[in-house]
Amino acid sequence: MLTLKNLRVAFGDHEVLKGIDITVKKGEVVTFIGPSGTGKTTLLRSINYLEKPSDGEVMLSDVGIKFKSANKKDILRLRRKTAMVFQQFNLFKHKTVVENVMDAQIAIQKKSKKEAYEKSCEELEKVGLLDKKDMYPSRLSGGQQQRVSIARALALEPEVILFDEPTSALDPELVGEVLKVIENVARSGMTILLVTHEMRFAKNISSKVVFMDQGHIVEQGTPEEIFEKSTHIRTRQFLKEYYEAEEDLAIANV
Amino acid sequence: MLDIKYMLEITPSLLSVLHVTLIILIASSALGLGLSILVTAIRIKKVKYLSQVMDLFISFTRSVPIVLQLFLMYYGFPFLLSMIGIHVSDFSAAAATVLALTLYNAGYLSEVLRPAYLAVEKGQHEAADGLGYTPFQKFTRIIAPQVIPIALPGWGNALVYLIHDTSLIFTIGVADIMGVANTLISSSYGAHQIEIYLTIALLFWAITFSADTMVRIFEKRAAKYNLSNGIAPKKKAKRKMRILVQKGV
Ligand SMILES: Nc1ncnc2c1ncn2[C@@H]1O[C@H](COP(=O)(O)OP(=O)(O)OP(=O)(O)O)[C@@H](O)[C@H]1O
Ligand SMILES: [Mg+2]
Repeated sequence: MLTLKNLRVAFGDHEVLKGIDITVKKGEVVTFIGPSGTGKTTLLRSINYLEKPSDGEVMLSDVGIKFKSANKKDILRLRRKTAMVFQQFNLFKHKTVVENVMDAQIAIQKKSKKEAYEKSCEELEKVGLLDKKDMYPSRLSGGQQQRVSIARALALEPEVILFDEPTSALDPELVGEVLKVIENVARSGMTILLVTHEMRFAKNISSKVVFMDQGHIVEQGTPEEIFEKSTHIRTRQFLKEYYEAEEDLAIANV
Repeated sequence: MLDIKYMLEITPSLLSVLHVTLIILIASSALGLGLSILVTAIRIKKVKYLSQVMDLFISFTRSVPIVLQLFLMYYGFPFLLSMIGIHVSDFSAAAATVLALTLYNAGYLSEVLRPAYLAVEKGQHEAADGLGYTPFQKFTRIIAPQVIPIALPGWGNALVYLIHDTSLIFTIGVADIMGVANTLISSSYGAHQIEIYLTIALLFWAITFSADTMVRIFEKRAAKYNLSNGIAPKKKAKRKMRILVQKGV
């Protein structure tokens, strides 16, 4: 359903993604892991065209775009089939919770206010925040804001949702509620691309795990193949360092 | 002794030209706002060459005293036009005034709008872009509503400056309040200067007060957005604190 071919992104002379090929099937949850600065965020942002790739192409159901020759209409079509959930939530500050979820439905999908409102309430119910619908984002906790931003994405019924470290900006005690919501989204059959440092969560939720390093895909496979049986030295090194750091943290917290 | 009776006597003749000041004010503030949006857009988009020209333009309007700008516009503009082959026979002082004040207001406002625009976080742009808003939809629905409350106080200031500056337009011969005042002064052989100037001061006070009130109303309308910046919740928290303190907690 989603195919990337030879995706290349460069910032000036610095090539960050050096030819990424990937195929995602409908309903799959694909998780990207890898060291910091490897290009995971850049990869997700490219699918949303928030970064401009220097080469490659993307196919998403019936939209096919060659990045080099993408025009404005292509970009809008691509963006309207995808939805991004940001690390920093990025809720519209001047709109209430329910207005946040409604606005794109009205502006982009040309729904009536009533339709958009009903759909929004439905989605807010799913993320457990219907009772907060008339509040402004600044009054919500980070976890609640992130759940609203997930509702905002869901309300547009995109083909795929892109999550970029959705829990990294949260206080530890708020991570759980957001992961729970993402899990529900995954269960509902939504196609998901996820970047996360929550390895345990990735192991549980993913249909496929992709390990990236320095702008390349090193390997991809089932969670078991990557987390337990990987023979790649870089993957094992990365996971070893991750678990060690986690242990240190656990000890420090005791 | 202040001759209040005289002040009341001259008020009608001053009021009879008030519309000149008001029309010039409204025209140059409206045109100035329009132009400033254009100038700000050019500078933010960093349009090649044009952007530098705008920087120069703003620097000029901010540096040169407004009286000089009025003179330059009144005498210089027809000359400039004649150099490119357009000959205007009667370039009125009022037109020169509106043009000069428009440029001046636009230059000032652009310095208000640009930082206000840049104060909107990148994440707000990206959220809208990512969901598939067109640039126009993004601007009207997401960005502008966040820029306006930030820019309003600065716009209010610009308006007050504009009001003050209209007191200089008689220097190029516009028959406004100050123009009439000068006629009155010379016809009363300088006997009532204080009364005349005081009456005008009160008139300007009234105009500025109305403008301030209008801006204040706009600000109040925009205040609900402050909520999103966390200002209102803090107020509420403070009130809560006060209640707690009163209860002796
Ligand atoms: N706008 C930008 N301009 C210049 N360089 C950038 C920009 N955005 C990202 N980079 C660089 O691209 C590389 C990849 O960044 P990216 O954010 O995609 O990594 P990441 O895998 O998401 O890392 P992390 O796990 O820390 O989030 C980094 O070296 C980063 O410095
Ligand atoms: Mg990242």
